[in-house]
Amino acid sequence: MDIHEYQAKQILHTEGINIPKGKIAYTPTEARNVASAISNAPWIIKAQVHSGARSKGHFLDSKSGKRSGIRQVATLKDVYKNASQMLGSTLVTPQSPNGNYVSRIYVEEYIPVEKNFYLSMGIDRTKSSIILLAANTDIDDISKLAAKKSEKIFRLPIDDQGPNKEQAAQIAQFLNLETKLQPDFYKFIKGMHKTFIDNDALMLEINPAGIANKKIIALDAKIILDEKGLYRHQDNLRLKDDDNLTPSVIKAARYGFSYQEYDGNLGCIVNGEGLSWAMKDLIDSPNVSLGSVLNVKGGVDRDKIAAGIKIIASNPKVDGIVINILGGFLRCDLIADGIIDAAAEVGLNVPLVARFEGTNRAKAINILTNSGLPIIMADSTQNAIEKIIKAVEENG
Amino acid sequence: MTFLVDKDTKILIQGITGTQASFHARRSLEYGSNIVCGVTPGKGGSEHLGVPVFNTVKEAMQKTHPEASVLFVPGSAVKSAVEESVEAGIKLLICVSANVPVNDMLTINKILAANNAKMIGPNTPGLIVPNQTRLGIFPENIHQQGHIGVVSRSSTLTYEAVLEVNRSGLGQSAVVGLGDDLVIGMNFVEALQLFHQDKNTSAIVMIGEMGGSFEEEGAEWYKNYAAKKPIICYIAGDDTTFSKTMGYANDIITKGHISFKQKKEKLKKSGIIVVDKINQIHQELSRL
Repeated sequence: MDIHEYQAKQILHTEGINIPKGKIAYTPTEARNVASAISNAPWIIKAQVHSGARSKGHFLDSKSGKRSGIRQVATLKDVYKNASQMLGSTLVTPQSPNGNYVSRIYVEEYIPVEKNFYLSMGIDRTKSSIILLAANTDIDDISKLAAKKSEKIFRLPIDDQGPNKEQAAQIAQFLNLETKLQPDFYKFIKGMHKTFIDNDALMLEINPAGIANKKIIALDAKIILDEKGLYRHQDNLRLKDDDNLTPSVIKAARYGFSYQEYDGNLGCIVNGEGLSWAMKDLIDSPNVSLGSVLNVKGGVDRDKIAAGIKIIASNPKVDGIVINILGGFLRCDLIADGIIDAAAEVGLNVPLVARFEGTNRAKAINILTNSGLPIIMADSTQNAIEKIIKAVEENG
Repeated sequence: MTFLVDKDTKILIQGITGTQASFHARRSLEYGSNIVCGVTPGKGGSEHLGVPVFNTVKEAMQKTHPEASVLFVPGSAVKSAVEESVEAGIKLLICVSANVPVNDMLTINKILAANNAKMIGPNTPGLIVPNQTRLGIFPENIHQQGHIGVVSRSSTLTYEAVLEVNRSGLGQSAVVGLGDDLVIGMNFVEALQLFHQDKNTSAIVMIGEMGGSFEEEGAEWYKNYAAKKPIICYIAGDDTTFSKTMGYANDIITKGHISFKQKKEKLKKSGIIVVDKINQIHQELSRL
């Protein structure tokens, strides 16, 4: 689960990490008020979206002007003006080409820093370990280093105890920090580690950190939380922001399913995302391409399945539906029951091909063939794709 | 012994009295799996599906000596369930449970390594040796005995791969699902090693996914291994899969952003046969 910069900074601050003074604002008036309350001019106003590279982004709306999602402003009048330009607009960045709606902005005091560096912690999947990454970003920014000069990034696997003083000193040297800053740097990365562990984070990134008044300060912060660990952190549940999710995605999530929309016209109901990717590779037609995918993995209740199927069946972009279930955990007959319930409620206006394999397959086929619904049965993924292409093409 | 287990392997089911566990344990028993007991705290002393239920793995170990454990406990309870069974001396765990926090998995992998134990999963369909034993939730009716090892990160595509093997007129020596969680127990390197050690396996079907570099690690091992068995691989996903990443850390950890094309190239260079569509697997198998 992605959280916003201001939320990440608040969490880091409770672990002793130094951050600029700042406040969140939902309206231009609020932005102006919080600006005058936190500091003198100038200020930085920052769009709060779940994406990095905001300073390299642009807004889709013409009212927003040409400037990016992070702006330095010198007067309260300009705080108001830029806040009105950013709020309610869509910010596109190199990390989020589809753009994100901006519902809130963070207003911060401007802090000049002596030095810029990158610090992060993430999961090294193949080594099954937390890893700390550090780089000097005075000359090249981190996107450039990550793409072209990865040898300039320090990598340190972190054990349960977190980084120790020697390791901190080693990294501080790599970053060319003054020796007298080492205790503060140690405290800083310990705070990062504690934040990471105590919140079940998957990624914590400070890009950049800097030095102001002889102290290390986090000028930006990103945290991704592990949804599987959220049950341990009820406080973090309130950080969830669905602003940029479509109603269908939110609805599907309510039933424990995942839903994704692509540009095409084929609706797919599968159990497991891998299956939809395999289907995509098998489609070979100018008239059919992958549209919306509902993944019912783990769904084991007839009503939930029906509700999920309705999400796809009621999508006007869908010209045909393939239900492709390879049941292990999931029982095929439950899916068949769900199809019947969904068809009774929303009707079946487009061709539907169903393919079942695995647990309770025969029962499922029996339910559907005796349902009186115009369902085309298929006996393999390839066969299902061939049949739906034919049906969609015939349907015009 | 075939791939880690055979028909005699004594199996424990952790969380046996739950609905899903009961459903699948019954099917495994019907398949011939040697399930010797179950553990559900608070239900010790009873009998379920004809096998004794114990409160603790320690007790189960003293009375029935299980060699492998299949976990059906909630994700939040997996860490303590693993600790308990490893402490009792179990060396092979199959974690069907999903929703295991990543941080717990980091600890679990340390516990496993320290105790020389293996875990398949979490979020795995399990391990099946056709006509011998089934540990997990595989739809057993699609499997047939043979000499092709199947290993997959995607659960549902495991079944698709099995059907492709059948389609070529061959069967499976063993089928193992690694699960597609962020951090997993057994990875491709280990699975490929085991299939290479297994006398019953003559070739391997591998299903990879975008996200992470488990496939590349497997390919790296394979490249340097002398007595290669043929591997046919399909990678699910494309460059839009996992494209939304906040921040740069993940790309740095994998030493650069891994594109779909790069992943496939890396595998091909190691000698793995990479197919573009999943239904090409049976054709490649027929050619071996």
